[in-house]
Amino acid sequence: MKNTTHTPPPKWMLRFFRWFCHPAYVEDIEGDLHERFALLIEEMGLRKARVRFVIEVLLLFRPGLIRSINLFPELINPGMLKHNLLITYRGFLKDKSTFLINLIGLSTGLACVLLIYGWVTDEMSVDKFHEKDSQLYQVMTNFHGPDAIETWEITPVLLGETFMEMFPEVESATLTSDRYLPKGKISINDQSLEANRLFADKRFFEVFSYELLEGDRKQVLADKNNIAISRKLANKLFESTEDIIGKTVEWSNVYVKQNFQIAGIFEDPSPNSTLQFDAVFNYDVVLAVSDRWQLAWSTNAVKTHLVLNEGTDIDEFNDKIEFFMWAKNPKRKTNRLFVQKYSEKYLNGRYESGVPTGGRITYVKLFSMIALFILLIACINFMNLSTAQASRKMKEIGVKKTMGADRRALVWQFLSESILMTLLSCFVAVGLVLLFLPQFNMITGKEMQWHMDSNAMLSIALIVIITGLIAGSYPAMYLSGFKPAAILKGKLSSSWGEDGIRKSLVIFQFALSVIFIAGVLVVDRQMQFIQSKNPGYSRDNVISFERPINNDDIDVFLDELQRLPGVSNASNMVGDILTGWDDQGGYSWSGQASDEKWIFQAPKISYDVLETLGMGMQEGRSFSKELQDDESKIILNEAAVKLMKLENPIGAIIEHNKEPREIIGVVGDFNYGSLHHEVKPLIFRLSHWGRDILVKIKSGDEQNTIAQIEQFYHKFHPDQSFNFSFLDEDNQRLYTAETRVATLSKYFAFLAILISCLGLLGLTAFTAERRSKEIGIRKILGSSVWGIIRLLSTDFTKMIVIGILIALPISYLITKSWLNNFAFKIDLEWWYFAGTAILTLLIAWSVVGLQTLKTARLNPVECLRDE
Amino acid sequence: MSKHRLGELEEIVLLTVAILHGEAYGIAIVNEMEERLSRRISIGALQIVLRRLEQKGHLVSEFGEATKVRGGKRKRYFTVTNFGKQALKETKDQRLSLWNAIPNISFGN
Repeated sequence: MKNTTHTPPPKWMLRFFRWFCHPAYVEDIEGDLHERFALLIEEMGLRKARVRFVIEVLLLFRPGLIRSINLFPELINPGMLKHNLLITYRGFLKDKSTFLINLIGLSTGLACVLLIYGWVTDEMSVDKFHEKDSQLYQVMTNFHGPDAIETWEITPVLLGETFMEMFPEVESATLTSDRYLPKGKISINDQSLEANRLFADKRFFEVFSYELLEGDRKQVLADKNNIAISRKLANKLFESTEDIIGKTVEWSNVYVKQNFQIAGIFEDPSPNSTLQFDAVFNYDVVLAVSDRWQLAWSTNAVKTHLVLNEGTDIDEFNDKIEFFMWAKNPKRKTNRLFVQKYSEKYLNGRYESGVPTGGRITYVKLFSMIALFILLIACINFMNLSTAQASRKMKEIGVKKTMGADRRALVWQFLSESILMTLLSCFVAVGLVLLFLPQFNMITGKEMQWHMDSNAMLSIALIVIITGLIAGSYPAMYLSGFKPAAILKGKLSSSWGEDGIRKSLVIFQFALSVIFIAGVLVVDRQMQFIQSKNPGYSRDNVISFERPINNDDIDVFLDELQRLPGVSNASNMVGDILTGWDDQGGYSWSGQASDEKWIFQAPKISYDVLETLGMGMQEGRSFSKELQDDESKIILNEAAVKLMKLENPIGAIIEHNKEPREIIGVVGDFNYGSLHHEVKPLIFRLSHWGRDILVKIKSGDEQNTIAQIEQFYHKFHPDQSFNFSFLDEDNQRLYTAETRVATLSKYFAFLAILISCLGLLGLTAFTAERRSKEIGIRKILGSSVWGIIRLLSTDFTKMIVIGILIALPISYLITKSWLNNFAFKIDLEWWYFAGTAILTLLIAWSVVGLQTLKTARLNPVECLRDE
Repeated sequence: MSKHRLGELEEIVLLTVAILHGEAYGIAIVNEMEERLSRRISIGALQIVLRRLEQKGHLVSEFGEATKVRGGKRKRYFTVTNFGKQALKETKDQRLSLWNAIPNISFGN
């Protein structure tokens, strides 16, 4: 118009417009846009006009004007699709070994991903099924000791109710406990069953969403004579869940023998609930037995669960409650409270210096990463084999391009090939999952089942498409980029770029494999170390069991037990030596820096425990019946002596809440509890009344001796079952999580190296084939088989060595950080890593070597005559 | 009856196309509407109405020649069809009959 040199509209906006607009409308509307923009500039100046223009274009983005959803007509077009599938199928037939390598790699990779995906979703879902999950918190106690902060789950009984009264944020609260009263038996008429019981208060079923089949959520636990039982237990006791509300059952154990009225029946807690129970009692039952000391603010006895109002600021609430215990009890300045989300506790159950620092979540992350990496290794195989075989596809691509196929059509052809490959592998993978699910469940301790719902279908479809895209994108871009004129003339110069990418992918694969192998090696060594480390006492041939009923006749019991022929020693203690939970506070001694009271590990043992466990005295003597030792005598471990800085510990007096305690002996340091923890200062207290019996039996005739002990046990407790276990087996159970990691990572490392080697095999075979003429000529000219093998394997050796060099420092860091979970750990020796390197190299060489040997031994006539 | 029903914007666009008689393309329609009715609508809003009217058969369109100011893009000229005219007429008649039916007393003159 007037100004001939008008400014054109922003280009990127126009490009965007052209992309989304229906092709039939593009031209005239774009013209309108040009005109409009010129007018806008006249009207409001360039800058505002641009803004206005962007709005104008965005307003054009509406259903009537955008192009139809079919953005990828090449893929949907049935003719093309059929063609692509046919070409892919022929490709598979033509090169079966590549097809097999890809199928094996991708299907095992996908199977790993599916299994781990199932496991991760299962882990993530634990405790999340409660309706009030987002508001559900648990109160935790941080105990600030003189030397460290310990975190406890347990709190005073009254805490929940007091919080409800004091803080408006607390909507509701409940408590749970499974301690203090033994399991005992629930019986009706002649039938009696051991039941997994839980103690809770009346709000339990309102706070938690365990499904009630019968009964009212508010009333079920309102009365202290009420009991709620699970469907399973109801079915066992009554063979039905109908019409049993109001019936009475008897619950009996050492402390209680009482009738309870059934007020509710709940669905069995699902496996993804941390709380597992068959019967729920009102906590008043415990209170009635344990006197009122339980209600004191100084006693931590139960877990407290809170429902906080929606939108409560948790940090603010934590600030409010931190010093709550101090206000209630001036002595408890050391106990500081905080809340943690209930459903997060399962995955984040490890605490360091009073804050959650991981836990299971570490393994969830670890295994997700491993599964993804294995799949990636398989994808790399696909990429490498497809691009390496580019020369075979060259003519096809050249002809297609000359006939007018554009790049996009070719990209889609290769992508549909990779997606089809992934889809086929996926079917195999599902088969593998179904096959190995029972084993996988056994290793992980889960009860997962394969069920196909829309969600699972969607996830699998998504995994297949993403995997297909990852595996196929690079080959598709690479192969479709060839210049038709050049390739039809046969000039395909493989530039360094492509070769370099292929090499770095192989390096990456082997680096991952090396990390896996080194990891497995270190985990395995550490597990062996743990199982075999001398804990400072002897676990061999020691069995333990619990006496269920009143313990008054314990002296007679032990006396007679010791007289059995195969028994070399027998004794009793409170709790056990493996879980190491028994602590006692209130200790002080002269020469302390401050007058703080210290807390010690303080197991209560009877006379012969140290002898039964073969724990030698360093100084002084053990507890003695003959000398009539009583509770005023204690035995220390070395760490405690060091802590108290005692020059002559024997005979020294320390105080426990103002009462004197005389040290009569010192034992060497030993592991009370698992090897995750350091050896801490420890005090042995004397108690006759422990119900946990330890028996050392003579080796040689264990079976017989145990049978005798069982008989003997039934003489004292005719109607109880005899459940014993060996101490060293119990010890192994302390490391279940680590054992699982060890087993799983072995499988995964094996798969990683297997898939990597398959890829290597494919590549070597291909290179050898491509260079067969060269090899033939070399042989004719006098090259030896050895020389040829060297020629072919140098390249691969270089790649693998680089991969190893990259992986070693990384695996060192990773294994080191895993070992930090243990207080007692192996040193990382150099040869773990050297061994891994050599092992990887050997495996790779044997794969490459076999293949090249085959080629090198060919008669040169064979490979030279076909022209 | 119902197939002739026009929306308010549809009616106005159709009328403007009729006014421009042979010169009706995107921006011209926008400008004409702005001039006569002080009503500015976005190209998007206009285009969607134009396409809808074309689909219903009220309008037909054809490409014109390219001009420099439009970045070399051709214009698409719209013309009202007989069916469109009929629809406009019917709308007008309906309005009129409604106006005529209003008793004098309601508007107080």
